[in-house]
Amino acid sequence: MSRERVVITGLGVFCGAARDIPGFRRAVIDGTSGVGPVDLFDVSAFPSHIAVQVKGFDPVAHFGRRTAAKLSRADQFGLIAAGEALGDSGIAGGYDSFAMGVVVGAGAAGMFQSEQWLAAALQERQISPSLLRGILPDKTSTVIAETFGLAGYQGTITTACSSSATAIGWGADLVATGKLDAVVCGGSDTLSMLTFAGFNSLKVVDPEPCAPFSLGRQGITLGEGAAFLVLERESVAAQRGAKVYGAVLGYAMAGEAHHMTAPDPTGQVAARLMHDAMANAGIAKGDVGWVNAHGTGTPLNDVVESNAMKRVFGERAGSVPLISTKPITGHCLGAAGAIEAVATMLALGERTIPKTLHFRGRDPECDLDYCHDSARPATATVAMSNSFAFGGNITSLVLGL
Amino acid sequence: MIQDTPDIVVTGLAAISAAGVGVEPLVTAVRGGQSCLTPVPEAIAGRAGLRWGKAEKFRAADFMPPLKARKFDRCSLLATVATGMALADAGVTKDSLAPERVGITMGSGFGGITNSEEFLTGYFQKGVDGLTPMLFPNTVANAAASNASIEHHLQGPNVTTVQRFCSAENAFQLACRFIAEGRADVMVTGGVDELTSRMLQGFQALGQNRSFAADYAEGCGLLVLERRSHAEARGARIMGEVTAISTLGLIPAGRESQAVSQLLPSESPKRLCLSGTADLLPAFAALLPDTPRICLPQVTGRSIAMGGLSMVALVATLGAGEQGLHLAASPEGPYYAISFTGGKPV
Repeated sequence: MSRERVVITGLGVFCGAARDIPGFRRAVIDGTSGVGPVDLFDVSAFPSHIAVQVKGFDPVAHFGRRTAAKLSRADQFGLIAAGEALGDSGIAGGYDSFAMGVVVGAGAAGMFQSEQWLAAALQERQISPSLLRGILPDKTSTVIAETFGLAGYQGTITTACSSSATAIGWGADLVATGKLDAVVCGGSDTLSMLTFAGFNSLKVVDPEPCAPFSLGRQGITLGEGAAFLVLERESVAAQRGAKVYGAVLGYAMAGEAHHMTAPDPTGQVAARLMHDAMANAGIAKGDVGWVNAHGTGTPLNDVVESNAMKRVFGERAGSVPLISTKPITGHCLGAAGAIEAVATMLALGERTIPKTLHFRGRDPECDLDYCHDSARPATATVAMSNSFAFGGNITSLVLGL
Repeated sequence: MIQDTPDIVVTGLAAISAAGVGVEPLVTAVRGGQSCLTPVPEAIAGRAGLRWGKAEKFRAADFMPPLKARKFDRCSLLATVATGMALADAGVTKDSLAPERVGITMGSGFGGITNSEEFLTGYFQKGVDGLTPMLFPNTVANAAASNASIEHHLQGPNVTTVQRFCSAENAFQLACRFIAEGRADVMVTGGVDELTSRMLQGFQALGQNRSFAADYAEGCGLLVLERRSHAEARGARIMGEVTAISTLGLIPAGRESQAVSQLLPSESPKRLCLSGTADLLPAFAALLPDTPRICLPQVTGRSIAMGGLSMVALVATLGAGEQGLHLAASPEGPYYAISFTGGKPV
């Protein structure tokens, strides 16, 4: 099936590391971590007290009291990031409402508010039921569609940590095949007691800032935020003289069908995924300059992902840097794929391979090039961004200039 | 937005609903126009007069050892068992096709919520000592489809969607696209819903027990899709064909008539199926008044991902060559019109 090239004409981000694209570009290129103490809820009972939280966020200042009360924290972050992306693209008024759509990748969604209702219900305390309005993860897509008049399509992908990577791939499908002229796609997710307690209960949270691919790493650092991309067909974007960041060249997704939480230790399916993504993008292995890893910092994931890279790139694996931007942003779960896609696109544009922060020493099982020492200038015009999730839902995006 | 569906056919169906376990009880209830809704016990509802569509005849122990069933949440149990039923109905066994060519897309109604509630309840009541780590993995919305993929070794595209009352239709659209693009040869698609007493409490708190959450239901309805050429090559029974998918995200004020005409196919169907909240929308409910219609909210109940069961009911009751139209809506959008042509009635 012939597909027209899908270009990225707008970017938006709102997360613990930075609250707009210029700030996020600096954080990614300079390697500035947003990790700090959590004050959104009480974490004193857990081994880890840190995350990449959006600190001091005042929704009333952004939306006014009445609107803010109707939105979950995930809706609020999503609206801000999608608004930046749409404003950046300049498509307002450029297309009919029915020719534009929205695809959101979501995770815990409105759980931060919903769990407050549950806590009150358990104590038989009266509390506003409006806290439950965002419990379904589709709410963010609806408020974005309504706010910006995107009437052609509304969709929400909920595959945990790969949600928003898949949302970008699906958004690219919708415009490539002419079903929509423009789509805003990405993801939003926030910290919640559910996920903070959950990952801590599984003992996969590092008490120190996460250190992907390092010796002595103990797990993830959670984060929160939202990121969105505006996608259009190249010919249509060119007609209106749009600024173009690059392109979503292709993607693939798969189910490992192995285990709900553990990755397939052989890395076989992850390797097939990367092969399929490159094939879908119509590129060869030699075209890929570097890979933005899922790179959570858990002992097992980082080894499996490194092994999958070896299966894909063979002898060349050591010369394809496998980096992780999660030490900068934290693991933003449902929004991770989109935040990392934006980071990848910005780094490609700056001709820089970002540094993987918080190096603690070389792990003999992680023996590839992770850019632990410093960010690096690069001529690469193509990079991949991997997102792996609970349930074995894995997605790989291929992005290019 | 209209998506063409190049020769995609339905080769398998599965249903678990308030009507019973299997497609036949659902078809019998639809044809007989009987309601399978039952009263919600007052102890749960807090008052009399509420009904629900509980899949009371579904017992996991009928399909797997009890010890194994215990590791699943109810949503995952429904999805895992129904996936097995759908694949068996399509004649797909674990070894008959390459696992990476068989995928699953599923709309999920409150998937993961039961485990989230149980996990958080432990924490809120007992602090860290009340945490049950084994509950946490199944708090994600994709737990149902992913557990089904693990159980049946489906390594193709695996996506869960949530889009209010069009969650299953959204998943169905992805499945058709993945087949059209060659990402998979066979896709299991549809929707799964669970229903708990805590959910009813939440609906009541929001005042939705008298509106969209009235007669709320649980269950799972799945279809197996593939290209006609692929189905014919493996000698599969063709139960229907997907002829068109049309969707809109929302309907801007003042553009209602344009939206409806853009959404609906030009040909009048022989059978209409109203899903989600389409039966509550005058523009849809008044369509084709003389056309036989299926309206599952009145039969097995209304739920977020009920589109799976609705599409199963439609395909299962279409005569050979008959045109059927599945219309689905959600209060804030989206809207879907999916056209089927009947193969052989079940």
